[in-house]
Amino acid sequence: MKKVHAIFEDGDHKWLALARDTSRPEFLIDTNEYLVTSDGDAILLDPGGSEIFPAVFSAVSTGFDPRRINKIFASHQDPDVISSLSMWLEFNSGIKCLSWLWQSFVPHFAGQAETFVPIPDNGMEIAVGSRRLQAVPAHYLHSSGNFHLYDPKAKILFTGDVGAALLPAGDGGLYVEDFDRHIRHADAFHRRWMGSEKARNDWCARVSALDIDMLCPQHGAIYRGADVRRFIDWFSRIEVGILKP
Amino acid sequence: MAESHLPAEAGQELRRIVRINEEIKSVVSTAFKINLMAMNAIFLAKRAGQSALGFGVLSNELRQFAGDLQKQMAALRETTYGSVALVTMLLKQSRISRLLGRAQAGAEGQGGRSLRELASRREETMLAESHRQMAVLNRRLSHMIADTAQLVELGSVLARSAKIEAAYGGGFSTSLMQVSSDFERTIGEIQRSFENLNKDQPEDIVA
Repeated sequence: MKKVHAIFEDGDHKWLALARDTSRPEFLIDTNEYLVTSDGDAILLDPGGSEIFPAVFSAVSTGFDPRRINKIFASHQDPDVISSLSMWLEFNSGIKCLSWLWQSFVPHFAGQAETFVPIPDNGMEIAVGSRRLQAVPAHYLHSSGNFHLYDPKAKILFTGDVGAALLPAGDGGLYVEDFDRHIRHADAFHRRWMGSEKARNDWCARVSALDIDMLCPQHGAIYRGADVRRFIDWFSRIEVGILKP
Repeated sequence: MAESHLPAEAGQELRRIVRINEEIKSVVSTAFKINLMAMNAIFLAKRAGQSALGFGVLSNELRQFAGDLQKQMAALRETTYGSVALVTMLLKQSRISRLLGRAQAGAEGQGGRSLRELASRREETMLAESHRQMAVLNRRLSHMIADTAQLVELGSVLARSAKIEAAYGGGFSTSLMQVSSDFERTIGEIQRSFENLNKDQPEDIVA
């Protein structure tokens, strides 16, 4: 089962990270899910693939009442991001899924027309209780319709596949402890999967203007403090959109 | 055909598991409280001396009870985790069966016949087996809840006995009585949680 870690807590306003599934089959990529709660309301970010639904659902249940989750945020349309949607809708058919123009693609996994709330290209505010989160455009990183989610109060940016690292077995820390060592596990992934230098530059400029304490990717460890800036600088320098033998 | 009613059933099952989990969390938090209360009661009994020896023994037992209860609740939580995994499998299978059923309705000739055979084999094997496993898991959960309810009953008896012992506490009698009443009230909360858990058991199992 996945472990639940409270990475931010201010009264009822919390960020819970669901990470490190020890019972996951090796052929499945490990994912991080995040639950943001405020005033009894909750949004689940990139809930994961259907194969890991039991692990995510059980982990959520240990730290929060899943009946209070009424929104799901899908950074993009990949199976490891949102294919568990059908399970969540069986549990609560009233859940709304916020995504980009994938509103007509994601229903191939599950849901009715009224399930989906499209996010416009330039982003939008998403209310969670009394908090206002911001969907931040991250198009072409790596999906052509891609969003990240920023919480200005918690100063946390959820970045989907940006910042992702494919960590070797045994390297299971929740946070990046040694940036130089960690980034080696992120290098090939970013060069291969991030398709556009222009989009990358736009994103780096956009997020540099935000006040960020933690950068939370969907795979690997969380960047915090000075490592957030280190990551943005590193990402702005590497060559992306290339397939090297 | 079992698959036609399965999704609604599975959704209900997930919601039932969540209700059970919420009660488990509430009991775990109360058991933690009893543990602290029992520790304070042990110190109080020591201060009261000879006249509270019996009260001290019962406070120790209540502390042991709180620890046992926490372990039992952890085992219950583990079992509900198994239930979520099984319900997920049922949901996936029912979705495949539903899609196969729709494909079969539109397919003709050999393709249609093959799909009918496939759907029939799935129905006989996989879905039936999943339903059987679900029933086994539900029975196990139900038995664990019943066993733990008995443990809670023991806690209630201990709290009542502590109340009787408090009466012999001499000058500390009022304080000991207050503590034992707190034990009784707190264990009463747990008993109410178990009443809710019992209400949430499938009828065929309760019967």
